Amino acid sequence: MRSETEASDGEIVRAVLAGDRERYAQLVTRYRDRYARYAARMLGSNDAAEDAVQDAFVRAYDQLAQCKDPNKFVGWFFLILRNRCFAEQRRSRDQAPLEAAADVVSADRTEGGAETAERRRALQLALLELTPDQREVFVLKHVEGLSYGEIAERLSTSVPSLKMRMHRAYDKLREELREHT
Amino acid sequence: MSERDFHPLVKQLLDGDITIADLPAELRREGEEALQLLAAVDRRPVELPAVPDRVMRALVRAPQRSALRRLIERPWVLAPALALAAALVVWLGWPAGSPIATPSAGAITVRFVLAAPNAHEVSVAGTFNQWDPRATPLVRTGANGVWSATITLPAGQHQYAFVVDGVRWVPDPAAPAIDDGFGRRNSVLTL
Repeated sequence: MRSETEASDGEIVRAVLAGDRERYAQLVTRYRDRYARYAARMLGSNDAAEDAVQDAFVRAYDQLAQCKDPNKFVGWFFLILRNRCFAEQRRSRDQAPLEAAADVVSADRTEGGAETAERRRALQLALLELTPDQREVFVLKHVEGLSYGEIAERLSTSVPSLKMRMHRAYDKLREELREHT
Repeated sequence: MSERDFHPLVKQLLDGDITIADLPAELRREGEEALQLLAAVDRRPVELPAVPDRVMRALVRAPQRSALRRLIERPWVLAPALALAAALVVWLGWPAGSPIATPSAGAITVRFVLAAPNAHEVSVAGTFNQWDPRATPLVRTGANGVWSATITLPAGQHQYAFVVDGVRWVPDPAAPAIDDGFGRRNSVLTL
């Protein structure tokens, strides 16, 4: 018999749907950090990422009965988090990106020295100037390390369209970095 | 292609399809610029240790969306309550003015106020609305970031917290608070 800590996602989802709400904490603990970096780079702030991940887990719980394949909970959860990140970006579109990236910048003083920190800061600010679609493909490939094929599968799109998006992102990043460095 | 754009071969370098040694000599400098861009990518992990507690706390506070769904499916069950609420509103003269609480024969009109200048939305959730953060939104009442909502509550003790931007639960700084049993504070309103 498997212990609770070894239970599959599907087993936990079915237990939660049967009324054992506390088991949901296992899923949250299991996946809380997996997409935290994605959310932080998409939103430009660890605080915003924390809010987004929390909200996505609450929404996933509310909609758990709609998770068609409980064994693929984490892929389904990613799409909820992705929607949450895109919605947050639409909502904060008018805010200054400098403000959004403030805590990334201030938290980035401990590793690699001031020059590395400054380069990271400049790139993070430039990333916030991309469209959310462009930023997402950049983050998934160059931060999360996924291949174009893996990203295409996850986002249900084609590799050529992803490459087109990415290549526009490269040009925009170059332009932004030249303007601000 | 503008002169500010990366050369297509340099984009292949960025994609990882070729190495800088594959670039012609005249593109090496541009290639190095591109690799510097990738070197600045922040791949350090982000950890969110507080999220499980925050999520489970939110679920405890709003445990049953199914009840909400039942109301959406059968909205007429709300008719008696809505009729009573409408009667109270007319009787009490909606909206209430500056007093925080206006007592009247067992039903009290209460004005919740929170200063949150950077918030995009604020609501109040409490024992009076089943801790539903969507049930009682506050309205921004001026340019200085003050949010308020006026509702009618029965006499007795109520616990509540403000919900900022849908996720941040904050106690009312102007009210006493008690521990909610999950390490956070709920504000207390006694009418």
